[in-house]
Amino acid sequence: MSKAVHVAFVGNPNCGKTTLFNAIAGTNLKVANWPGVTVEKVEGKLNFQGQHFILVDLPGTYSLTSYTMEEIVARDYIMSDEVDIIINVVDASSLERNLYLTLQLLELGKPVVMALNMMDIIKERGLELDLHRLPEMLGIPVIPVSARKKTGLKTLMHAVQHHSERHDDKIEHHDHGAKNSAGTHHHSHHDEYAMVYDDDIEDRIDFITALLKGSGPSMSNYRWHAIKLLEHDAEVMKTITIDLQGLNDKNFETEILNERYTFIEEIMEEVLPDRDMKSESTDRADRLLTHRVLGIPIFLCIMAAVFLLTFTLGDFIKGYLELALEWFGGAAEGMLLNISTNPILTSMIVDGIIAGVGGILTFLPNIIILFIALAFLEDSGYMARVAYVMDGVMSKIGLSGRAFIPMILGFGCTVPAVMASRALENPRDRLKTILATPFMSCSAKIPVYVLISGIFFGGYAPLAAFSMYLIGLMMAILVAFAAGRLDKKKEENTLLIELPEYKTPNPRTVYVYVSQKVKDYLTKAGTTIFMASILLWLLLNFGSGGYVGEGSIADSFAAKMGAWLVPVLTPAGLGFWQIAVALISGLAAKEVVVSSISILFGIAEADSAALSTHFAQIGFGPVNAFALMLFVLLYVPCLAALAVIKRETRSWKWTGVSIAIQLGTAWIVSTLFFQIVSLFIK
Amino acid sequence: MTLYEGKVGRTYSVASINLSTPVRRRLEILGMTEHASVSLINKSLSGAIVIKIRGTRFALGKAFAKGILIEGGAAT
Repeated sequence: MSKAVHVAFVGNPNCGKTTLFNAIAGTNLKVANWPGVTVEKVEGKLNFQGQHFILVDLPGTYSLTSYTMEEIVARDYIMSDEVDIIINVVDASSLERNLYLTLQLLELGKPVVMALNMMDIIKERGLELDLHRLPEMLGIPVIPVSARKKTGLKTLMHAVQHHSERHDDKIEHHDHGAKNSAGTHHHSHHDEYAMVYDDDIEDRIDFITALLKGSGPSMSNYRWHAIKLLEHDAEVMKTITIDLQGLNDKNFETEILNERYTFIEEIMEEVLPDRDMKSESTDRADRLLTHRVLGIPIFLCIMAAVFLLTFTLGDFIKGYLELALEWFGGAAEGMLLNISTNPILTSMIVDGIIAGVGGILTFLPNIIILFIALAFLEDSGYMARVAYVMDGVMSKIGLSGRAFIPMILGFGCTVPAVMASRALENPRDRLKTILATPFMSCSAKIPVYVLISGIFFGGYAPLAAFSMYLIGLMMAILVAFAAGRLDKKKEENTLLIELPEYKTPNPRTVYVYVSQKVKDYLTKAGTTIFMASILLWLLLNFGSGGYVGEGSIADSFAAKMGAWLVPVLTPAGLGFWQIAVALISGLAAKEVVVSSISILFGIAEADSAALSTHFAQIGFGPVNAFALMLFVLLYVPCLAALAVIKRETRSWKWTGVSIAIQLGTAWIVSTLFFQIVSLFIK
Repeated sequence: MTLYEGKVGRTYSVASINLSTPVRRRLEILGMTEHASVSLINKSLSGAIVIKIRGTRFALGKAFAKGILIEGGAAT
């Protein structure tokens, strides 16, 4: 078989690049990624007409300068020998801006095929794009495709196959600018390059090229390096240190940028003469959705609907999963007993692994629904509007409007919420958001609120539970505000976000997005939970004297550890070893707090009547109960959340800081509450 | 006049960008070069704006809006 052709997919953010990549790579898709946030390069494979292709999806980028990591990663990869041909994915509905990247790609010297996406939007607007003039102006094949409807894909790959080996086509470009000036430059570059600069810059390029050929390092593309030297590109300036005899004595970046956009304007006049027609449907939707007064209420209604769906529908399905899990646990136990497995091993599998890992699986419906809703909001183009609508509120606590999205998601589950903070560009905004998000009361804490407030607060139970959401939100805002205050580098409000045209969400994009989340959740959280479950079981069932079993749990390591924590928790009204153990076990998952309490007090089910008697016996009253709820709300989230905080911050230090803030606020708030209220209620 | 003081529904020409170099570069790469035409589409109560430049809509924070100097102002 002939050598595989490496195809790099390059395009602006939001141009439909990943959707196109998924459509072409099809079932051979290896890894999917976040819409708009391809963090690393992703590979897929394709066999087309006997030719083997390796498809590589690169981060969406507006340009190929070297100011951001994504741009450097993309550029280095495209320039490497590995890449045979570039597919430049272009959003036809914002052709003008997309062409800026195209012009830079052309200068890299590799074959380029343009995939012109979103032509349907052009048609919907009643515009006509000259598909014959565009390739003439650029000197590359231009293939109209629809990533969503999967049309034009074969033609595109056919063009890729043809052009992957034709590096030196002679092309006759549109001789732009020539009609206005006679030109003093002695070379005509229009048969070689689409983008020809003014005479001064072209002269400099020619001179630098000659110098590079004479004494520079060996390279494949002199013209590109010469242009980059004129732009004072940091990376290229580092590698090429030969004396340029003052040819790049000043930075020509702005001149070069303006000339590129001037050429783009010429192209636009030629290919899309009546482009100024309004994109009416998006404008009409925006008049309502980004209304200066109604924008926020509309957003709140949409979010309320999302959470209503997540909780009601999600919990409905979750109930059935729990039944299935219970049955499975029972069946597994029965089977293990039948084959006379060691009772200790049986207990570990049933009470440890199945209860722990299985308990996490039951939250899958909530996660899936939340992410389907999220993918809809994002793929439709609405999410970017939320950042705009909420920018004013968020800027008051030192964050840009974008940071609001992950915080809201924290009401569902901290794990995806922390992951969603990836969409923030500014690393410090990202960190502040990650620190604040765990305080948004996640759905796993609901069982704790329901059980505890049901026992102690009677008719006020719903109010007590609801107060947790408000206190959590207040703490999140306080932490973000404090982090902003401590942040020495004061920055301007950094909101800068593209507002794409509204469109119907594409089922495949939603599917890929959600399945990726599910896979992440199952593998990453699953491995953590698996280990934690075994550890927890060991601590609960073994003591210094060996296996203690369920009857004498008070002799277990867990009980010893709990007793050790009692002095620390006493000021908060939580100085009971059982409570301490429940809180420790809650690190695996917050629901475990509830199940631990029942196991620790030796009750088969979370029976509130029996529990309240037990609580009364050890002197645990309503004030202690509310302090416990506060502590559960604020202290360290589950291990899965900590793991994702570590993964997203890529720093043990910040993971530690996050844990310290949570433990600190949990202890301080519950202690303050317990001490002050105890003064009045005795 | 800055973009922040512009009127919704009008199209201006960018005179200069008075912001830090990295921010200016980001804006330039998005097409906001001198003399580029920019339409002001929306303004929020807090001062964030929505603009359309070279066929694409962007939301900009208040500080950015205040740092972009504009001239002209034809109704669109």
